[in-house]
Amino acid sequence: MTAQGQAAGDGRRDWLLAIDTATARIVVAAGGLDGTPLGATIWDAGRTHGEQLLPAIGRLTGEANLRRSRIRGVIVGTGPGAFTGLRVGLATAKALAHELRVPVAGVSTAAALLDASGAGPLGVLLLPAGPNDRTVVRGADPAILLPGGRALELRDADVLVAVDLDGRAPADAVARGEVARDGLAAALLRLGVGRLAAGGDDLARLVPDYVSLPRGVTSESGEVEWSRDPR
Amino acid sequence: MTGSAAHGPVLLAIESSCDETGIAVIDAGRRILANVVASQTALHAASGGIVPEVAARAHLRWIVPVLDQALADANVTVEDVDGVAVTYGPGLAGSLLVGINFAKTLAWAHDKPLVGVNHLEGHLYAAWLADATADLPAEPVFPLVALIVSGGHTFLVEMRDHLTYRLLGQTVDDAAGEAFDKVGRLLGLPYPGGPAISRAAEAAGLHDAAFPRAWLGDSYDFSFSGLKTAARRTIDEARIEEGLPTGKAAEAEPDARLSDAAVAELAWGFQDAVVDVLVTKTIRAAAATGARSIVLGGGVAANGSLRTRLAGEAEAIGLPLIVPRPALCTDNGAMIGAAGARRFAAGERAGLALDASPSLPLARR
Ligand SMILES: [Zn+2]
Repeated sequence: MTAQGQAAGDGRRDWLLAIDTATARIVVAAGGLDGTPLGATIWDAGRTHGEQLLPAIGRLTGEANLRRSRIRGVIVGTGPGAFTGLRVGLATAKALAHELRVPVAGVSTAAALLDASGAGPLGVLLLPAGPNDRTVVRGADPAILLPGGRALELRDADVLVAVDLDGRAPADAVARGEVARDGLAAALLRLGVGRLAAGGDDLARLVPDYVSLPRGVTSESGEVEWSRDPR
Repeated sequence: MTGSAAHGPVLLAIESSCDETGIAVIDAGRRILANVVASQTALHAASGGIVPEVAARAHLRWIVPVLDQALADANVTVEDVDGVAVTYGPGLAGSLLVGINFAKTLAWAHDKPLVGVNHLEGHLYAAWLADATADLPAEPVFPLVALIVSGGHTFLVEMRDHLTYRLLGQTVDDAAGEAFDKVGRLLGLPYPGGPAISRAAEAAGLHDAAFPRAWLGDSYDFSFSGLKTAARRTIDEARIEEGLPTGKAAEAEPDARLSDAAVAELAWGFQDAVVDVLVTKTIRAAAATGARSIVLGGGVAANGSLRTRLAGEAEAIGLPLIVPRPALCTDNGAMIGAAGARRFAAGERAGLALDASPSLPLARR
């Protein structure tokens, strides 16, 4: 686990919390209300997002001398990415925003990575999807699932950014991916501030960016049955 | 708060282990101040069973509205409660971790204690619950034997005291509710199969269909896979008798359905075989362990035939049978609050590293 930035809070400072659990590296970052990074904790997720996220948020507040009660908004990466991580991140962000009565902003992890990569408007992001498939994100277009074995069609001017694909993508794309990951915390805060200023997202409806329907499911099916006091 | 005044710790309880998002507010482990459930049965009907990824997505989508409704019904905030209880297993990993991380963060936000609850003990503790406006009924008397039957579980357990479990038997293959779903599908009945088979069986007139019972010797274990295979064969025979296609050919012709009379007979015969084994083993276990009461729970407890027959045989040996009302037998947050209150009172606390435990056992034999 690495901590970035200097302890900047004086305990009374209002701040924003940003979380991203979509990639193999979890990001928990604190920022000022204008998005200025105040500190971040970043670590390799492994398979234990659920065990580590909340304790890490607690540690970050301690190290940066920030108070939980002074969080003024929660920014959360919505992927696309691994489902386990995204569920942990979004469930945590929802509960926190609900209880602190602050707005939540879902920020596309892909958009934040492209923003951080410096690839510019022609950046094309490539992420792993499960053990074999990949997800492709081109600019602001919706993410597309690229099944294993299928080659990515690139246009001449495309600038490929590959995250979590060491050895499975060209070296220069992987290098840009590293730059993107290093800048993810700052990019989340940068993009999140704008979304929060616009009122943020509906807490209940905020869900990850799912690239595909669940296996065996052919269409979005209906609503759930609702019971206030089941009898 | 609604109903009578609080007289014990008030817990916010969260259940998300399978396909119901349940959040409840429970006073002193017994009194239901709120119990809200978002059920995904309709979402899973198309596939004829639970799709784990669909379930996990729905939990994340519905957990905030369920929380809001539960807090509004109980007229409390999370700051008001004494602690948060949450199911951490057994169940579907993707579903469990939505509830767990949500619950942990609610607790963390207000420095409230957190308690992890085994989903299976939640089903047992549903027997202690009472509605806010009702008189508190007497508690089940120890030692007791409990039969929990649902789409996900089938087990028989002995409790000699609170939080003390001895597993007497469990299914060695399918859960009873799963067998109901599968045979219901073979009979052309809608999902879920339990209520559909029960309804169809009511119309049976002959009560002459015979299905095999898997007694498994003296053990208290259950097996339903052989019964399922026998049901398939018997249903195919009935279809041939009515000149209908079977197997792959039947799948291609979903409208070629058995007559209602045949469906009713077969539904009755299958249900009778399941109920016979469940009731016989439960009564035998109660007698062998010197139980002073019997508890029935899980979604299949809503089955009228099972309730009636177990009640009759329990009465015959002089034991009270406690069956929570149907909505407390299926998965819900209230039962997690009931069990969580016992763990809370025993001083148990979970840390913020609490994680899903998909195959958490209730007890070892
Ligand atoms: Zn259950």
